[in-house]
Amino acid sequence: MAPTSQIERGKTWPAPDGAIRVKKFEVYRYDPDSDKNPRIDTYEVDLDSCGPMVLDALIKIKNEIDATLTFRRSCREGVCGSCSMNIDGTNWLACTRFISNTAEPATIYPLNHLRVVKDLVPDLTHLYEQYAQIEPWLKTTTPVPERERLQSPEDREKLDGHYECILCFCCTAGCPSHWWNGNRFLGPAVLLQANRWLADSRDEATGERLDNLEDPFRLYRCHTILNCTRTCPKGLNPGKAIASIKKMIIERKS
Amino acid sequence: MQRVTAVALVPLTLWLAVSLFARARGEYGAFILWLRAPFTTILMVLLLIALFYHMALGLQVVVEDYVHTERMRIPAVVVIHLGCFALAVAGIVATLRIAFGG
Amino acid sequence: MANRERPLSPDLQIYRPQLTSVLSITHRLTGVALSIGSPVLVCWLIAAAAGPSVYATLHGFLGSRLGLALLFGWTYALCFHLCNGIRHLFWDAGYGFELRTIYASGWTVVAASAMLTLAAWIISFSLHG
Repeated sequence: MAPTSQIERGKTWPAPDGAIRVKKFEVYRYDPDSDKNPRIDTYEVDLDSCGPMVLDALIKIKNEIDATLTFRRSCREGVCGSCSMNIDGTNWLACTRFISNTAEPATIYPLNHLRVVKDLVPDLTHLYEQYAQIEPWLKTTTPVPERERLQSPEDREKLDGHYECILCFCCTAGCPSHWWNGNRFLGPAVLLQANRWLADSRDEATGERLDNLEDPFRLYRCHTILNCTRTCPKGLNPGKAIASIKKMIIERKS
Repeated sequence: MQRVTAVALVPLTLWLAVSLFARARGEYGAFILWLRAPFTTILMVLLLIALFYHMALGLQVVVEDYVHTERMRIPAVVVIHLGCFALAVAGIVATLRIAFGG
Repeated sequence: MANRERPLSPDLQIYRPQLTSVLSITHRLTGVALSIGSPVLVCWLIAAAAGPSVYATLHGFLGSRLGLALLFGWTYALCFHLCNGIRHLFWDAGYGFELRTIYASGWTVVAASAMLTLAAWIISFSLHG
């Protein structure tokens, strides 16, 4: 496991003259095109000409102060999962975090324990591979019906709290077990989706899915630390979903 | 099994803790008499079994979490299990010697 | 043009300690502390089996300042690990996963383990002096 490179103090970009409401943002920077170590740049932002969210501040910095600042973003309303990052020590979406709800200075880092492509952009390749491992599609053996596969409202309710996941990976990046064993431990986001398919009454591969999950590393590195539930910006409960998987495994043995 | 031993340990350690705190600083003879009572002897043996099994499983999980090289992890887990077994046996033998000794 | 390995983004260094992670690591640390202390329990039994003079020697050490400090630490470790362990058993049964409950039960464990430790020592001292 490679160590994090020594992070250095970087540049400070002062606020423009005449700015009254000024806020400092300390942002992690990494330039893959240079040989330099990652650094922390400090930006002073005039809040009177800035939108209310942390993402607004990042966009303002990129537009007006430092065009090299790089980050993922898309919907700016908390539904796409692109702008997930570590803000003041916990993972959240930049577009739904109010600047007024941050520390002074606000500290912005990429999602934890991931390879950094550039600045606040982490490499999510391995996380997507882990997602593919749980085979997130409907698996059936019965023949395809003429119309939809029907599902009662009660059965549909079992998907609540699962389908809303936007795969932002705030939870997985905040899980110490995934930090230390992320090569094999699937992590809360993927396991939440695994439970989404286990809970789906239309899916017919429940036994096979549980067989694949029942592994000391893939599932059982979860020690109910619960950082995941604490940090989910969509208010979902991966910890509970994982507990539900563990219960299903025990119940099918008895 | 870690959960099973955990459930057993809740009442057992409470019993042990309360008893020890009540008698811990009392005199030797009273302590021996207490341990000789069949009920106490049985509970102590059960406690030692549950405790060291729970401990072995718990320490194994800790090692698996942090030690990633197989060359170190496998001997570590073996040592943990053997050590806990040895401690359990030592404790049980001592308890039985007190219970059946003169 | 650099050709270096991508750096790993920081984790422990910058992640904010929260009740969830702090109680979890404390549960692990108290478990390890109890594991280190368990041979003392076995020594106690062996000393008792060996006779009054060996028992007295062990008690002498345990009654020393270092011994009492260790015992106090182990008592706290036991109380915390026990209370948080019960919290874990509830989670295994599927209860208590709502965020509010996680926090409520967490603070309860912190308070209960501190109170149990103090109660145990106060009672022990008042019984034996």
